[in-house]
Amino acid sequence: MTLIADGRGPASTNPALSVAGIGELVSSADPDHTLVCYGLGSCVALSAWDPRVRAAAMAHFMLPSGAGGGPPVKFVDEGFDRLLAALRAVGGSSARAEFKAAGGASMLAVMAGALDIGRRNAQAVEARLAGAGLRLAASDLGGSAGRTVQLAVGNGRLLIKSVSGTKTL
Amino acid sequence: MTLTAGSATWQETLSTVFLHALERAGDALVAMSGHEVLVKAAQVRMRRAADVIDDCGSPDVVVAGVYVGFSGPLRGHALLLLTPDGARRFAGLLLDGVVAPGPSIVGPNGELALGPLQASALQELGNVTISACLNELGAYFDEPVQPTVPQAIVELTGAILDAVLADLVADVDQVLTARTSFTIGGESIDGTILILPDAPSLERLAQAAAVSHR
Repeated sequence: MTLIADGRGPASTNPALSVAGIGELVSSADPDHTLVCYGLGSCVALSAWDPRVRAAAMAHFMLPSGAGGGPPVKFVDEGFDRLLAALRAVGGSSARAEFKAAGGASMLAVMAGALDIGRRNAQAVEARLAGAGLRLAASDLGGSAGRTVQLAVGNGRLLIKSVSGTKTL
Repeated sequence: MTLTAGSATWQETLSTVFLHALERAGDALVAMSGHEVLVKAAQVRMRRAADVIDDCGSPDVVVAGVYVGFSGPLRGHALLLLTPDGARRFAGLLLDGVVAPGPSIVGPNGELALGPLQASALQELGNVTISACLNELGAYFDEPVQPTVPQAIVELTGAILDAVLADLVADVDQVLTARTSFTIGGESIDGTILILPDAPSLERLAQAAAVSHR
């Protein structure tokens, strides 16, 4: 089952889609553009959308914190500022931005507890936003289901798809 | 077979060890299914997290998997991945003559799922094949590799893999992946077995295997 609207999946060459792979960041000021994170489990997607200029950025965070190296937003702690910088780079303002988050699931029962990376990722995103004087406008965090998320740059809607259904934030 | 980290000897040793372990998993698959199984060429490679997901297909494609964690002298994660339809048919093969598999459970939104018997059969399949592989790896140590209770799951490929990869790549950029794929004769069921040990385990295993091979 392929969840993306155009039915062509992550390998799509659709120029209107920008895909943030694991630990990656995408941004756009094109209102016809859609930013996508596929197959989030314990990972968290954090989107920032500026309604005035209709510019957006989205990060696909993998871990709450850690040593440097690897893809640009592998860690929430050092990747958060890169998300804000990416929004500014396409003309957006973090002060005006609506932030939305999805993911942070606990996919495997045996990894719950101390190894619950999903919960720790969600907490890290919320803490980092609070530390910057910002807050989530909406979120779909936790649970035990995987998610694919799509942010429409034109209207800021975050479409969340899972094996059990679809919702919009 | 490509390992791009560590010395040439280290790479060759680990490749040999994991290829043997995957052969044992293939043998177990044949024994358990009771059907002709074509085990395709195994691969042992160092891969970035994103590449591991791509190797297993698109991250938003739904798969049926069995997860087994392992600890002891080796620590890491193992997965058996099948298409949901392949998993149902494989479970049907295993349950044939034991009990009628019955219809698949489909949720209110049409989500894909496995019935309890199908899930149980799939868990046992994953448990046997992955344990065969872990037993082979554990032979290099004085204590056994301890597997967790297997968990069957029907989910997005990326969602299953990102949780286990996140546990492995906190301090490193690449993980060793040992994977093989197989086809069950007349049923044309394709699947993948994936073994993902953590970095310290690889060092211990390489040292133990080097001593063993002297």
